[in-house]
Amino acid sequence: MKAAQFEHHEPTTVDEAVSLLESLDEPTILAGGQSLVPMLRFRLARPDTVVDINGIDSLDYLHEDNGYLKMGALARHADVEDSEVVADHYGSLADAAPLIADPQIRNRGTVVGSMAQADPKGDWGSVLLAHDGEVVARGPAGERTIPADQLFLLPYDTSLGEDELITEARVPAPVDGEGSAYHKLKRKTGDYAMAGVAARVVLDDDRRIEEAGIGMTAVDITNARAPEAEDHLVGERPSADLFEEAGELAAEASNPESDEHGDAAYKERMVDVLTQRALGDAVERAGVVKRRVTQ
Amino acid sequence: MTETREITLTVNGTEHTIEVEPRRLLVHAIREDLDLTGTHIGCDTGNCGACTVLKDGEPVKSCLSFAVQADGSEIMTVEGMEDLPEASGELHPLQEGFREEHGLQCGYCTPGMIMSGKALLDESPDPDEDEIREAISGNLCRCTGYQNIVKSIEYAAEELKEPAAADGGTVTAEQRFADDDFDCGVEDCCGGPSTSATHIEGADPQFDDAGGDTDE
Repeated sequence: MKAAQFEHHEPTTVDEAVSLLESLDEPTILAGGQSLVPMLRFRLARPDTVVDINGIDSLDYLHEDNGYLKMGALARHADVEDSEVVADHYGSLADAAPLIADPQIRNRGTVVGSMAQADPKGDWGSVLLAHDGEVVARGPAGERTIPADQLFLLPYDTSLGEDELITEARVPAPVDGEGSAYHKLKRKTGDYAMAGVAARVVLDDDRRIEEAGIGMTAVDITNARAPEAEDHLVGERPSADLFEEAGELAAEASNPESDEHGDAAYKERMVDVLTQRALGDAVERAGVVKRRVTQ
Repeated sequence: MTETREITLTVNGTEHTIEVEPRRLLVHAIREDLDLTGTHIGCDTGNCGACTVLKDGEPVKSCLSFAVQADGSEIMTVEGMEDLPEASGELHPLQEGFREEHGLQCGYCTPGMIMSGKALLDESPDPDEDEIREAISGNLCRCTGYQNIVKSIEYAAEELKEPAAADGGTVTAEQRFADDDFDCGVEDCCGGPSTSATHIEGADPQFDDAGGDTDE
């Protein structure tokens, strides 16, 4: 099926994009297009105007800067997958990137676009939540940051304004004693997650958990945190028992729906297991990351 | 609203300027406007990978991108394979591999498989089985069970590494150095063919004195 007719706009600067978003009637932003193009083709979306941001070269970056790992709106999944700084220091991102779809889609799809799409089955939202990350939005009134906690409202719905563009997603650079991981259960290569869990921990000098972040994929109406599990971990020494308790609390916090892939109880059990595994990897990595934010 | 735009695509080395509506998919532009029907449309949903082409060297699904988004880019389709230097005017080693190793039955997925295979071998000339399976993980085949597709790409990797060796033949040092067209095979090594053994040894310690590949 063909997409309905639309007007195609190709801004080359963020300012130009924002002024288009302000002046056009209900425009849709096209980044990697790996979700949007099929939606347009099946006419699940029928915007009159499409603002294609692929020509805004200034948004094509992925680097550490000022205490953050910053991903511009044109950073593709493959850029994360191939990044050395990610491989060395951001376990959860390094785990998640190669598990997304397939190589062709990772070459086009963007991290920021995936967050803005706000599909509860998307992986990046959970990673952003576990890291207490944020996105930078540009609109006619200027720039603002939206914390991960406040970004996802409903399936495919974010707190982003109609005339705003997410220019960047960023997560704080790891401190000493920090580690993170992402585990995902999917039926086969290329599928969306049936369930996924991102975990991040910071260990103090006494090897107790100082901070914990857990983000869950595909088990609620949005990517969601597991606050009770996080609280339960803080102040404790990592152990298999502790992770089991955290896994149970995360499963309780999740709210999956039964579908053809499994019933809700099964998915809750998987959240439990994936939480334990992700915490295990995160703690292990926390032991090897020796590095300060300022360098 | 039926405005069209003029775009320029360089497909398999030939520049084409065409008029397209913004909603025209890249795969439709390739197949219908340029009449290059080697690129297939399989699932029409972005799953199957039959429409895989290389855009500026990277494999992408041409049904998940609008033609206007490829304006100014270099596209390679399966039709371009036989024009590559390593094809020597005949089948490219990858295509030959699919024939030799029975890498296709109905053939529908083959163009996409070959383009994914090409992208892999460009990046990683000596891939192991896991890498091959990962590289074709975005391409579905409903006939072969993938086993022979993996073998086909392995065949091509061998063939590209050491012409003739994959046929069961052996290449002697004399043959290697007597052949004016010999290419040491190392990317950006020395600017091309050479007849000098020292030149090859100096370029890459991968080769031993007899010109054999020490990696094996």
